[in-house]
Amino acid sequence: MDAIQLENVTKVYHVGEVETHALNDVSLNIGEGEFTALVGPSGSGKTTLLQLIGCLDKPDKGAVKIKGQDVTRLNANQRADLRRESIGFIFQFFALVPVLTAYENVELPLLLGSVNAKERRERVMELLKAVGLSDRARHRPDQMSGGQQQRVAIARALAPRPLLVLADEPTANLDTDNGKQAMEIMQRLNEKTGTAFVFATHDPRVVAFARRVVKLRDGRIDSNGATG
Amino acid sequence: MSLSKLWMLAYRDLGRNRRRSILTLLSVSFGLALLIWMAGLIAGVLEDSLQNSIVFRTGHLQIRASSFEEDKLSLQSKDLLANTEDLTTRANALNEVKAAAPVLWAGVILDTLNDSASLQLYGIDTASPIYTPIQTSVVAGSFLTADDRDGILIGKLLADSLNIGAGQKVNLAIVNADGQPDEGTFTVRGLFSTGIPSYDQSSVFMPLSKAQAFTGVAGHASAIFILLKDQADTDKVAAALQGPGVSIVTWSSMNSLLINAIQAGMSFYVLLDGIVILIVAVIIANTLLMAVFERIREMGILAALGMKQRQIMQMFLLEAGILGLLGVIIGIVFGLGGVAYLATTGISIGDKMAAVAGNSFALGTTIYARFDTGQFAALSLATLFVILLAALYPARYAAHLEPVDALRS
Ligand SMILES: Nc1ncnc2c1ncn2[C@@H]1O[C@H](COP(=O)(O)OP(=O)(O)OP(=O)(O)O)[C@@H](O)[C@H]1O
Ligand SMILES: [Mg+2]
Repeated sequence: MDAIQLENVTKVYHVGEVETHALNDVSLNIGEGEFTALVGPSGSGKTTLLQLIGCLDKPDKGAVKIKGQDVTRLNANQRADLRRESIGFIFQFFALVPVLTAYENVELPLLLGSVNAKERRERVMELLKAVGLSDRARHRPDQMSGGQQQRVAIARALAPRPLLVLADEPTANLDTDNGKQAMEIMQRLNEKTGTAFVFATHDPRVVAFARRVVKLRDGRIDSNGATG
Repeated sequence: MSLSKLWMLAYRDLGRNRRRSILTLLSVSFGLALLIWMAGLIAGVLEDSLQNSIVFRTGHLQIRASSFEEDKLSLQSKDLLANTEDLTTRANALNEVKAAAPVLWAGVILDTLNDSASLQLYGIDTASPIYTPIQTSVVAGSFLTADDRDGILIGKLLADSLNIGAGQKVNLAIVNADGQPDEGTFTVRGLFSTGIPSYDQSSVFMPLSKAQAFTGVAGHASAIFILLKDQADTDKVAAALQGPGVSIVTWSSMNSLLINAIQAGMSFYVLLDGIVILIVAVIIANTLLMAVFERIREMGILAALGMKQRQIMQMFLLEAGILGLLGVIIGIVFGLGGVAYLATTGISIGDKMAAVAGNSFALGTTIYARFDTGQFAALSLATLFVILLAALYPARYAAHLEPVDALRS
């Protein structure tokens, strides 16, 4: 079964008199364990699409289904639960909580859930090791480089063992080497854990990592690169 | 998410802008300390002025003739007590009574060569322990003896304003028991200073027997003035002394004017309290709103991670709670320290202030604070409560941000 199904999704933004059809009748399936790039020119609706998949926002029309369940009907609390359990987020800016250490940042989504202390510890240490930051566990974000912070964010996104990780231009603020390293880590974790990844990007070097490429243009799917 | 982890987040967030947190903390502390100082001072002023009034003016109880009217100070024998010795002995025989003595009051005019003053004459039993406070407050000359035939005692403040001193002669004029004007020459034997200007400026003492002769009310007295060992026994003693032809008046009815003034003062004071607490609330709300605005994107991240509105709200309320609790604790420490200082050293308010206040308050020139634990606790709790109340709006604001809007900011 597909992890995510978008059925005829439309999202319109209103600013004063102006209506922007950020997404226009988009249908898209994302399978479990995919490693998919979302590409398209600026303003084509990539971020909007990720926000809808991630239950951060609701579409004006159409359905968003996660594991077959239509999430557009859920209330704010239920959507928060769903995000916590099933979806990891990675942002372009290194979205760590500044007052928490690397360890605590990765632990945070587990604390929001009900994972016991021993299990939390094991998962956090394992993930920090996987992103090569075992020795930075006690560092605060402002004591780490941008590349290191983004790797902590990757570890945090994977901590709840989500169905899907959504990354909005995860390498845009990284130099080439750090961007490549981040992509390699995501690829490795995708293979190891079977968590699906969808990442929006402009960067052809990042797109090269993808097994599937979905192209957006003016709020419509230009080519959905479906593998089967 | 367990409360303890939210607590940690809230605590660390306070450390982010340390200066702002400390300033907020200090304003909470100072606000509460101020409230406690005011409450302590007011409790002190009220209790002191009541006790001063009881000791010097009203006693705990008075036995009077049924027809006596306090504001007339009548000298007619039907308004006075005749069997004074009997009544005094009966009162003194009661265990609860510390001292009882007859007293005769009259309105007099004191004349010097250039000046005059309208005073209340007290004919007193000079040997009674009731007048020990006057005796110990004599600052010039000497106290009176029972057989002194022309000696009087007046307040130092009055003497200063009339430009007279101990040993000097003055003229006293009255309307006597027969309704006839009369006057006599007296020698100022001594000057007293009780520290209560309203009293020191308006009283003149002479021995009871001389006062009776001067006013023409042989053997009579206006009242038997009674002080108790314990104020709480008032009603019991009043009941025991009840008898035909006399009325027993208690300190609470005699001081009703003072007590009313106290209550009127209280409502003003509640207003002041409200203003201080409101300022503290505004400061807390402002600090928290700034904290929320600085962290809008972070709220988006926390929401994306699955933090619920309720938890975000709790986090900010905890921040306010930590600030509030620490502020209140520090405030209590400063507050009690201040009250301790004001209770021992006091504040000098000066003669004029005291005299002005003296119309309704028997105030001394130095006012002392008192510990009023119940009141202090109520103020501390009220402050904490209002802080949490003030935090509700910013906390709700943070909790109800739309995640997408928060992330885009
Ligand atoms: N909150 C909003 N209010 C109004 N219009 C919006 C809002 N968010 C996005 N839009 C508009 O919707 C369209 C799609 O925006 P979106 O951010 O999804 O594009 P994108 O593909 O992520 O672009 P970029 O590559 O620049 O990040 C754009 O035209 C944008 O201006
Ligand atoms: Mg975008």
